[in-house]
Amino acid sequence: MKPLHKKLLGLLFTALLFTGYNAVGQDAKKGSLSISVGFYSQNNQVPYVKAKVKTKVDGRFKTVAGIPLALYINNGDESGNLIANVVTNEKGEAAATIPASLKAKWGAGPSHTFLATFKGSKEYEANTGDVTVGRAKIDIDTTSDRKITASVYAMSDSGWKPVKGVDVIVAIKRLDANLNVNETATFSTDSTGTASADFKRDSIAGDANGNITLVAKVEDNDQFGNLYVEKTVPWGAKFTPVSTFDRRTLFATRDKAPIWLILMATSIIVVVWGILFGLVVNLIKIKKLGGQSA
Amino acid sequence: MENSNALASEKIIQDLLPQKFGTKGKVFVGVLLAFCLVGLFAYYRQLRYGLVVTAMRDYVSWGIYISNFVFFVAISLVGSLITAVFRLANVEWSKPLTRIAEIIAVAAIIFASLIIIVDMGSPERFYFLFLYGRIQSPIMWDVIVITTYFFISILLLYYPLLPDLKILLRFKEKSGKGLNKLYKFLGSYWKETPHQIKLGDKAINILCITIIPVAFSIHTVTSWLFATTYRPGWDSTNFGAYFISGAFLVGAGSVVVAMYIFRKAYSLEQYITPKHFEKMGRIVVLLALLYLYFNINEYLVPAFKMKKSEEAHLNGLFAGDYAPLFWFAILTGMIIPIIILLFKKGRRPVPAFIAGIMVVVGAWFKRYLIVTPTMLHPFMPMYNVPESYHHYFPSWEEWAIAIGSLAGTMLVITILGRIFPIIPIQETINEQHETVA
Repeated sequence: MKPLHKKLLGLLFTALLFTGYNAVGQDAKKGSLSISVGFYSQNNQVPYVKAKVKTKVDGRFKTVAGIPLALYINNGDESGNLIANVVTNEKGEAAATIPASLKAKWGAGPSHTFLATFKGSKEYEANTGDVTVGRAKIDIDTTSDRKITASVYAMSDSGWKPVKGVDVIVAIKRLDANLNVNETATFSTDSTGTASADFKRDSIAGDANGNITLVAKVEDNDQFGNLYVEKTVPWGAKFTPVSTFDRRTLFATRDKAPIWLILMATSIIVVVWGILFGLVVNLIKIKKLGGQSA
Repeated sequence: MENSNALASEKIIQDLLPQKFGTKGKVFVGVLLAFCLVGLFAYYRQLRYGLVVTAMRDYVSWGIYISNFVFFVAISLVGSLITAVFRLANVEWSKPLTRIAEIIAVAAIIFASLIIIVDMGSPERFYFLFLYGRIQSPIMWDVIVITTYFFISILLLYYPLLPDLKILLRFKEKSGKGLNKLYKFLGSYWKETPHQIKLGDKAINILCITIIPVAFSIHTVTSWLFATTYRPGWDSTNFGAYFISGAFLVGAGSVVVAMYIFRKAYSLEQYITPKHFEKMGRIVVLLALLYLYFNINEYLVPAFKMKKSEEAHLNGLFAGDYAPLFWFAILTGMIIPIIILLFKKGRRPVPAFIAGIMVVVGAWFKRYLIVTPTMLHPFMPMYNVPESYHHYFPSWEEWAIAIGSLAGTMLVITILGRIFPIIPIQETINEQHETVA
């Protein structure tokens, strides 16, 4: 009876999970949930861990919102390893930065495992997600002849050492996506841990001072996860925004209608209604004539 | 000769004086009134509960009301075609039809104005339009030209009525007290002096000249309400001409229908003759061919290019959800009437009347197809919205108001046809004298 009892409880929990936690995949049916974990370092500041929960519905993966997860560093057995308890958002994602309390553990070794488990869910206890990454950092630098260098270093027992053969994306940060600095998107680091790219976007628009933001990033690297760094340089064309807010345009407010339109509309209205007024006056004349003849 | 002229004149007057409703007429008016009352009740519900009683939501914000509005504006253009264009072109045979056209124009433009206020939800928004409206907005232009066209149509109906009012005042007993008071108020000052006639004729000529550009403006601006909005199916530089050709077609079709009904109801066979159906039939064929040509341009060229953003809209019309309605509108509104009216036998009163009904019905659905499917296919994908937002089918309140407004238009036409001579009496007498002379 015991296994059946457990199964029933599991089913009940699954049902609660899907009703109470508002799965994003609205037509998502009960199914096994899977977690993937990613490690992210932005500008070599405090890194964060991001977990993503998915389920398979009708042969397609759909993300699941509202799932409580526990994120750990190294392993989930010790309560002192807990990074944070999180809940997945509408994209099925949940993220947490490594807290100051774990600074010593983070600094203790050259690599760490990050673990995500379904918090308190016995049904999915076995479904954990983890990622093991080495501590690494990425730097970006530029030269006066508009060459960009991105350097990747990994922590070893003897300190930071350059890493060879890491694919680095060097690009210009734009509004929605990044733009390649030249015809190549990805550059590989050499034995000094450096990847070089020539900047060939001379006429690109920058901000009011001509500043643009360069980015260098390592994405989904098996050894180091996701590393990202950016640098602002005055290599763009100065962009002076032209505001049409106070101008007379077709799309402006009513008090900013174009003069030509006001003149045209008014003259047409005056002419046509002038004629109509004349015709009404004409009727009055006809009426008067009728009175005289009587 | 003078005696025979006088006799003929008396007969014309007796034939063309407004007649009281018979049993059929009373039933017809009763049915129209019933539809209007149901429409009014639906409008009361809309005022009380808001536009939520309609099926219009975020995407389809223009539904059956705007389709109806475009239809009414289209029909109203007939006043300028039959009255103004034909008068200026000296088309003699069209004289018995001018009043029918003017009455249809006035009735249609009244309900076009009303239905746009209904579409706004709360009626005070119409007032706010004048207070806060932007002259840059085609909606504002539409309000201006419709108001202008309404006044011109009223004047164009009124001026040629003056000589007839003088005649009507001679038949107090036949008219009854109430109507006689109205005739007195409207036209007792018309003494038919040469100076009055001169001023009257001059005014009619000025009106005929003025109404043509205003009529073109009214429907061109209505088309711009769509064409200035960047959406599949509306993104056209040709919408003005396309709408005007369609408007003349439905206007001419409605005149044929009205001609037949008034001819039957008031026994006007001597005045609205098979010759008139023959001529109007030719005009309807010409206009249907013209409108068909514009339709081919409006649909075939985008279909040939089949831009990704317009694909869903066009496929929906040609072979999708709207295909039955689309092909019904094309066949009923254009192709079948063309086939009927191309043949001499098809231009006899009965087949011409059937073709006229087909043109009018097809035209109503055509306006629905211009408005709704486009609203359901915006360039930006519909995302994360309730399922019901992906479809549109008017609620009963919308149907009731739309049908009520159509019934209201027919009621106005019927009542004006009861109050005033449906064929200009004085003009018919003058024509008779000229023919005899």
